[in-house]
Amino acid sequence: MPIQINTAIKGKEYPAYPVTVERGKIKEFARAIGDLSPFYLDDEIAKAGPWGDIIAPPTFPITFRDDRADTGTMLRDLGVDIGRLLHGEQEFEHFKPIRPGQTYLCRSRIADIYEKAGKSGPMAFVVRETTVTDSGNDVVALVRGTTVVRL
Amino acid sequence: MKYAKVYAEDAQVGSELPPLVKPPIQQIQLTRYAGASGDFNPIHQDAAFAKAAGMGDVFAHGMLSMGFVAQSVTDWLGVGSVRKLGVRFAGLVRLGDVVTCRGKIVAKRPPKDGNGPWLVDLELWAENQKGEKVITGKSTAALPSRA
Repeated sequence: MPIQINTAIKGKEYPAYPVTVERGKIKEFARAIGDLSPFYLDDEIAKAGPWGDIIAPPTFPITFRDDRADTGTMLRDLGVDIGRLLHGEQEFEHFKPIRPGQTYLCRSRIADIYEKAGKSGPMAFVVRETTVTDSGNDVVALVRGTTVVRL
Repeated sequence: MKYAKVYAEDAQVGSELPPLVKPPIQQIQLTRYAGASGDFNPIHQDAAFAKAAGMGDVFAHGMLSMGFVAQSVTDWLGVGSVRKLGVRFAGLVRLGDVVTCRGKIVAKRPPKDGNGPWLVDLELWAENQKGEKVITGKSTAALPSRA
């Protein structure tokens, strides 16, 4: 028997949360990927570079999370155990570089939920969108992730 | 040449991305990525949990492989060039797998205004050592003109 999920959270907006980007977190993230570009890791080289400081790698906004708006919260809302999740799709749009020391505001919403038959059985697709803005209210990045729930 | 500045004039439709071959996936890298990203889903750390969840064994965070794909673009076209990156996770990456990121330029667009950057669209994919695609995706990168 496939499980039921709470599709009523389609359209739900989570509380906006601030994230202050730590210099060390950018470096830890780049090193975990094995991307050793000096523009992520070397303060001195980056200082002389186009941004005057290190910037974050393209997928770094995936680290922006908050207890009231993270995957755990979404799972509780859906009524799903974490072991059923797969990552289906992910997209980032970048409008400005993400810099250490800056505080960004993240707004997440459940943009869509739909069900489909997969290769190994029925699946639900949950699309979550996060808008990241800076202190001037400019959109810095848009993050769109599709989580697959094995029903 | 790895961090050389790439100009729009250097990037042509059909140009192939230099393949990025990453070292074999090790558990320690998944643990490091969990810490760095904040994604502590035990399915990437705990073989017993992964087995009980019907996945056989642990597998890599899709986001780790997407990080590899992003690196393949920035190694080629420059850090800060990526305007858009979207992927579909097509297959699981397991311990010991060697992920190779590949791609090519499929379109090139002139600046909308006089001084803006050129935009290039890329088709991207990552495959394992058996040649099976684990990621397919697209990207748009901004490149300055030499002129």
